[in-house]
Amino acid sequence: MKQLIVALAVGLYSPMVISDDIDPRGLIQKAMDQWRGLSSYSEISMTIHRPDWERSMSMRSWTRGDKISLARVIEPKRDSGNGTLTKDNNMWTYSPKIDRIIKVPSSMMSQSWMGSDFSNKDISKSTDILDEYEHRLIETREGEGHLVYVIESVPHEDAAVVWGKEILLIRDDFILLEHQFWDQDEILVKSMQAREIKTLGGRTVASIIRMGKEGAPEEWTEMSVQDIQFDISIQDRLFTLSNLRNPRE
Amino acid sequence: MKNITLRLAWRNLWRHKRRTWITISAMVFSNLLLVFMISLQFGSYRMMIDNTLKSYTGHMQVQREGYNDDPKIRNSFEAIVPLAEKLRLQLGTKRVAARATAFAMVSSEQRSYGLQIVGVEPEYEPNVSTLPGLITQGRYFSDINTEEILVGSVLARNLRIDIGDELTLLGSGRDGSFAAGVVTVTGIFDSGNADIDRSMAQLPLAYFQSLFGMQDQGHSIVINADDLPQAARLQNKASAMLAADRDLEVLGWQALQPGLQQAIQADLASAWFMYAVLIVLVAFSVLNTQLMSVLERTREFGVMLALGFKPAQLGGLVVTETFIMSSLGLMVGALLGVMLTYYLSVVGFSYPGMEEMAGRFNLPDRMYPSLSLLSIFLGPGIVFICSVLASAYPALRLFNLQPVSPMRAA
Repeated sequence: MKQLIVALAVGLYSPMVISDDIDPRGLIQKAMDQWRGLSSYSEISMTIHRPDWERSMSMRSWTRGDKISLARVIEPKRDSGNGTLTKDNNMWTYSPKIDRIIKVPSSMMSQSWMGSDFSNKDISKSTDILDEYEHRLIETREGEGHLVYVIESVPHEDAAVVWGKEILLIRDDFILLEHQFWDQDEILVKSMQAREIKTLGGRTVASIIRMGKEGAPEEWTEMSVQDIQFDISIQDRLFTLSNLRNPRE
Repeated sequence: MKNITLRLAWRNLWRHKRRTWITISAMVFSNLLLVFMISLQFGSYRMMIDNTLKSYTGHMQVQREGYNDDPKIRNSFEAIVPLAEKLRLQLGTKRVAARATAFAMVSSEQRSYGLQIVGVEPEYEPNVSTLPGLITQGRYFSDINTEEILVGSVLARNLRIDIGDELTLLGSGRDGSFAAGVVTVTGIFDSGNADIDRSMAQLPLAYFQSLFGMQDQGHSIVINADDLPQAARLQNKASAMLAADRDLEVLGWQALQPGLQQAIQADLASAWFMYAVLIVLVAFSVLNTQLMSVLERTREFGVMLALGFKPAQLGGLVVTETFIMSSLGLMVGALLGVMLTYYLSVVGFSYPGMEEMAGRFNLPDRMYPSLSLLSIFLGPGIVFICSVLASAYPALRLFNLQPVSPMRAA
């Protein structure tokens, strides 16, 4: 009898042990740090896939901390020079065709970024999930020799977020395997998946990431990291509007 | 024999002149009301449809199949301008214009908004849409390939721009490339419809096509008929013309503006509920009158049976009486209804507080009922049928009548 009670108590208690042991917010933070480093420079190719067409472009991207980033299109020639700068949840876009910098209004943040399946918000929000969400570890899985933590993140009541919840699958080496976006009716809308993991720039990172809409398997955007360097020194003036317009590298 | 029934019925009716006239006047009143209300409804629906469609949507549109449900920039079709020209020639109407649509961010110095941008043919667009005629500042496009933009008044105010200011457009082209352009505001229109004035911006089609990497493609060809009744015929004609092209379909206004159709149906349903109450009341007053007149004549009917009348004939007599009464009600009611409605359909009328509602449904501030055979006879016809049916109960009572006992009873 005594043993049964102990067994029951342990059985009830064991999930608590996991959530005590592992801080889901910390996991997300680490996953982000792993991906970004203190600063980074990367060369990325982006492929937008649709049922009847496909389009690729290559771009360069710089990040510093979790709030500052710059991305600039290199190929194709026709679009070369288009870029976006994000700083503290603000976003500016520059197009050489019109030689103008335009601040993206908050009403446009859920629109597509550079015609892809990533929204402007996906590109810029970065740390919102840490500051404005409540996290809960809902499952721990095992697979391919790693532990995978499934974290459910629900935005705070007052957070300016369109999603009802987000679910993140993070591997025990802090690689974000999957990021699901659920709407407020508990329906999966889109998800971002790591499709290839390898060592780049001295770190193990997800080198191919695919964002796809749920229910439309033929519509996705893939970002493939060709090259990445972490923790390099980047001058402040790289992340300025004048550099967005007139690149000096 | 029939003749006798008719003559008897006629005489019976006028034995109680006052009662008969009161019953008839109930029918006349309800018929007058029904003719007027139904004509008014039909008139206002027609205006609602006309005004909504004329401002922008048009009576029908040629689109690539699937575009209406999923208006993506990729769902376009080729050689839209030549196709529009061909439709103009073969349908024999100038009211045909090609359009293309895309989503873009429109920015002024101070503000940015995400908007649906429409490319139009400046030469033909005024034939299918009232917007070009509602320009309050500036002018319409001078050419099909100029870097000019036409915006609604509310949008202009939101963007804080005036004629001659520059706007930048940023979006994705049809091929996924970056679409970016700088355009000059040449015109600002004020349609009075806040939705349109807030969300509409137009570019000349050729410039639109080069901006959004569309080549010679577009999304819709708008076709307008002279008036609504002709739209269906024209739609069949256009569909027949395009039958060879499997990708294209011609969509009528019901498909393009399902909300409009639904609003009309909902309004019609609630109106019919009121009409039904009115009709049932009239039918009951007829039932009441006829039942009374049967009960008070029990003795008389007994005598008639004794004289050789058959019960069926007695029943027929009562129904005939009602029939005559209802016919009078129908004729007088419909006549008065037509007179009143016709007068108002010529001079028009309005009632207090109507202007606001009219503005919301895109209606002019005076109403003009529209008379048609249907609107004249629909309501009174139903009143007529219901009244005659109402006399069935008193008439059927007579079938069980025996000759002797009723004579004694009375």
